[in-house]
Amino acid sequence: MIDTFRINFRYIILSTFAALAATMTFVSCSKDPIREQQVDPPDPPDSTITFSDGCFVLNEGNFNWGNASVTFFDYGTETVVDDLFNTVNKRSLGDVAESMNIFNGRGFIVVNNSGKIEVVSLTDFTSVKTIEGFNAPRYMEIIDSSKAYVTNLYGNISILNLKSLEVTGNIPTSDWTEKMIRYNQYVFVTSIGQFNQATDARHPKVYVISAKEDQIIDSIVTGKEPVGMVIDKKDKIWVLCTGGWDGVEKPALYRIDPNLRQVEKKYTFPSDGTVPSRLCINPGKDTLYFLNKGICRMPVTSTALPETPFIETSGSNLYGLDINPYNGTIWVTDAGDYVQNGKVYEYSPATGALLRSFKAGRIPSAFAFTAAD
Amino acid sequence: MLRISKYGISPFILGCLFLCPGILHAQKIADTLKLKEFEVIGNYPVNNNGFKKVRIDSTILVQNLNADLSTLLSKYSSIFIKTYGNGSLATPSFRGTSAHHTQVEWNGISLNSPMMGQTDLAILPVSQFDGIEIIYGGAGLFNSSGAFGGIINLVSEADWNNRLNIDLAQSFASFDTYKTTLNVASGTQHFQSLTKANFSTSLNNFEYNNTDSNKVERQTNAACHQYGLSEDLFFRMGRKHFLSLKMWYSNNYRQIPPNISSENIYDPEEEDKSLRGIVEYKFLEKKYNITVRSALIDDYMNYRDSVEYIHKYYSSVNRIRFNWVGIRNLTIKPGIDFTYDLVDSDSYEDVKTRTNAGLFGEIVYDASKKIKLSLVLREDLVDGDLMPFTFAGGIQYKPLKKFNWSMSANVSRNYRMPTLNDKYWYKSGNPDLKQEQNVMVEAGNVFNFLTAENHLFMEGELTGYYSWITNLILWQPTEGNSYLWKPVNLATVHARGIEAGITLKYQIRKWAAGLNSNYTYCRSTNEKSEATTQDQEGKQLIYIPVHSFNSTINAGWKTFYVTYNFVYTSRRYTGTDNETYMPGYNLSNIFFGKNINLKNIILSLQLEINNLFDLDYQSIVDRPMPGRNYGITLRGQFKK
Repeated sequence: MIDTFRINFRYIILSTFAALAATMTFVSCSKDPIREQQVDPPDPPDSTITFSDGCFVLNEGNFNWGNASVTFFDYGTETVVDDLFNTVNKRSLGDVAESMNIFNGRGFIVVNNSGKIEVVSLTDFTSVKTIEGFNAPRYMEIIDSSKAYVTNLYGNISILNLKSLEVTGNIPTSDWTEKMIRYNQYVFVTSIGQFNQATDARHPKVYVISAKEDQIIDSIVTGKEPVGMVIDKKDKIWVLCTGGWDGVEKPALYRIDPNLRQVEKKYTFPSDGTVPSRLCINPGKDTLYFLNKGICRMPVTSTALPETPFIETSGSNLYGLDINPYNGTIWVTDAGDYVQNGKVYEYSPATGALLRSFKAGRIPSAFAFTAAD
Repeated sequence: MLRISKYGISPFILGCLFLCPGILHAQKIADTLKLKEFEVIGNYPVNNNGFKKVRIDSTILVQNLNADLSTLLSKYSSIFIKTYGNGSLATPSFRGTSAHHTQVEWNGISLNSPMMGQTDLAILPVSQFDGIEIIYGGAGLFNSSGAFGGIINLVSEADWNNRLNIDLAQSFASFDTYKTTLNVASGTQHFQSLTKANFSTSLNNFEYNNTDSNKVERQTNAACHQYGLSEDLFFRMGRKHFLSLKMWYSNNYRQIPPNISSENIYDPEEEDKSLRGIVEYKFLEKKYNITVRSALIDDYMNYRDSVEYIHKYYSSVNRIRFNWVGIRNLTIKPGIDFTYDLVDSDSYEDVKTRTNAGLFGEIVYDASKKIKLSLVLREDLVDGDLMPFTFAGGIQYKPLKKFNWSMSANVSRNYRMPTLNDKYWYKSGNPDLKQEQNVMVEAGNVFNFLTAENHLFMEGELTGYYSWITNLILWQPTEGNSYLWKPVNLATVHARGIEAGITLKYQIRKWAAGLNSNYTYCRSTNEKSEATTQDQEGKQLIYIPVHSFNSTINAGWKTFYVTYNFVYTSRRYTGTDNETYMPGYNLSNIFFGKNINLKNIILSLQLEINNLFDLDYQSIVDRPMPGRNYGITLRGQFKK
């Protein structure tokens, strides 16, 4: 019995070796680079989509995964075009897309952790230029037809020439700067403090920049982490401070007079562990919106913070918020567990009713609108 | 997002688990198989009693002397290694669990940091160890709790027949990589000393294809330098007393390269320094024996980019085991464990400690020649809190006399403590975390066969398991504050799979050939729980391949040898909704070598080609991996 086994085993061995060697050589010859793929690869946008009647959703993607993307939503056909930058330009957008501006028929996508701004044509979303030379850029503000400012995480405010699409200079600061608002010849910039410092060591403020001289000329002290800023119809600047990611202070909303450069009023949030975020304003510039366990809103004339959200959205992980500047609809994103594709919801500002929802990419966070919907 | 990642630990690490194949032959039957004719005594049987324990073939250790543990295990074991790139962080995962559920041990002492709860395999050089044991699932409870996946035990051993053995190897490899190892073993029948030293340096500046810019770029800020020194002393006094002392110091410096699409403004770097020592005393009598072991670990880690963070920990690990044999086919091993950890970290508000006192009992019962039963019970008291009672019970059945075929089954209940980072990380830590819980069942069988003339050895193994993990800790934003992430006991994961392996060894006249193949199938899924979103229910966890396969073929003729290694990893999802994935890939590696045997000296020359077919791949999204690369190793062994 043992002998029979031995003979059989010899055959088995020989054929196993041969078969394995053949299989391995065969399967090893695939030449496609191994890169992240989608189970349902999105189609390139069809030619009927003009990008003139819809909104861009910026999916910031996971930090260090290089999976930021842009989704376009067409109001009329309700078509969702995923991964737009990649399908048109055959390369990925980069790592952590922070914000997008529209100017002169072009989209400017600020890609924070890739240290660049991708400029695309809004007729077909083809890449016009990749601008480099930032310090982890955050937001961009158009100053005039030829100049824009870009805030950075690791210091300096970059001056961008909108014609040559190059960084032409810096407004020096060692601070992490965030949101900007242009008011007359001045630009107000929120500053969180030095990036590499702990929250209690940071000196948060709003810088005042003279746009003529590209220089910081003044500053206004605020609460910790002023991450949001809008200007209302009475030319009052509203600054939302989180109080620090680690809760060093209570979150607060500041009202600043940009002429006197002074804090006029401070609304303090209760310290229940929740932190408001994403301060926005409606097109009429008389109502503030922000996220705080739901979508909250507050007339600029209000003497107190809203006690309950305007729209309750239990169960979802609200992440991004914006108001369509053309007609005031409320757009909010749900990042899910941050490791899956997120969702976008549109609500009516009149009734708070859900108007539309659709799926977007990984961690949808910001919007750029091209028209009323 | 950026800031969160800066201060917190990546919340996604917890969700990342894996599995993969190996060159191990599992669950060897405890019979003695004399394989004298074969050049190497590999995979010697490990007593299993219903549990799965295997040992990596020593030929593989020799051929990969200058590799690090992550490279070795990813090529030859069924453990999936998640690697952030050549020389970068590499963590193990088996049976669909995360790096936290794999315990890496050095002579039975856990190397998992009490802070992180995991071990980086990229900084452990293979040359430091004489053997590598892999202990699967419930079998881990014989050593410690918390290893839902299993344990990788790195062993140093004395060879009492050795008098003098000097082994010096020098490797030159691609990307300015140079490695030197020197192992000296000397002694008598009563005393053995093992001295091991290793030094390596690499620029690691490999070229990769940036598919975004369509340019070939060079990896930057990726250099690493490491050295290690260890001294093991073994004393044998008469037949009853054994004493061993082991010391191991390692020093690793490495730069942390950026991912492809980001730019480093500050080039981060990391330094790890560890000093470990073990004293073990064994007293052997006919009917009983006693083992007392005490270990100390002093670990220092320094991470810096624009800010510097220093994390230090000290651990004292103590164990006493009694072993009574022969009471009616019964072996009883009660024991006591005591572990004390102290962490001094820049990321904690103050110094944190943890004490763990455990009672342990193990019973092995030889019911008959065919049936063996084993049971292990453990109860831990952590910082004064009683932990869940854990146990593992196994049965081994060997139905046939003529064939070495045995069937095994076991069931276990296990728990894992939250790491100290989970509990105390600045502002994020959650001191109220509960333990993660695990129940696992496993059944398998193994057979082996040796022909009459010892020309052929064959072994096959097949194991299936099902594992239920509850209270899994996940980091997620606190409600109403997406800036602050905290760990919470949230997820439920079910992991089940099949592991199959086959080994053939064939030798006739001057020829020798061997084959080892391993296949694993693993479904590890998120189940409905408080944390699940609709899109992730029932979906495969990210970065865990469903199928993985590896195969190693070697052939030798006189003093020449060639080894071909093949690793296949199937698709790994990169989103919990399973909408995105990294495609499956396979890698081939090849070794050629020649030994020159002089009187007391063996000289050898080995050429190694990794990624033979120059596959352009990534293991983790946006982290480049090197293409085809080469290494030459010169080795001299003096033996007296």
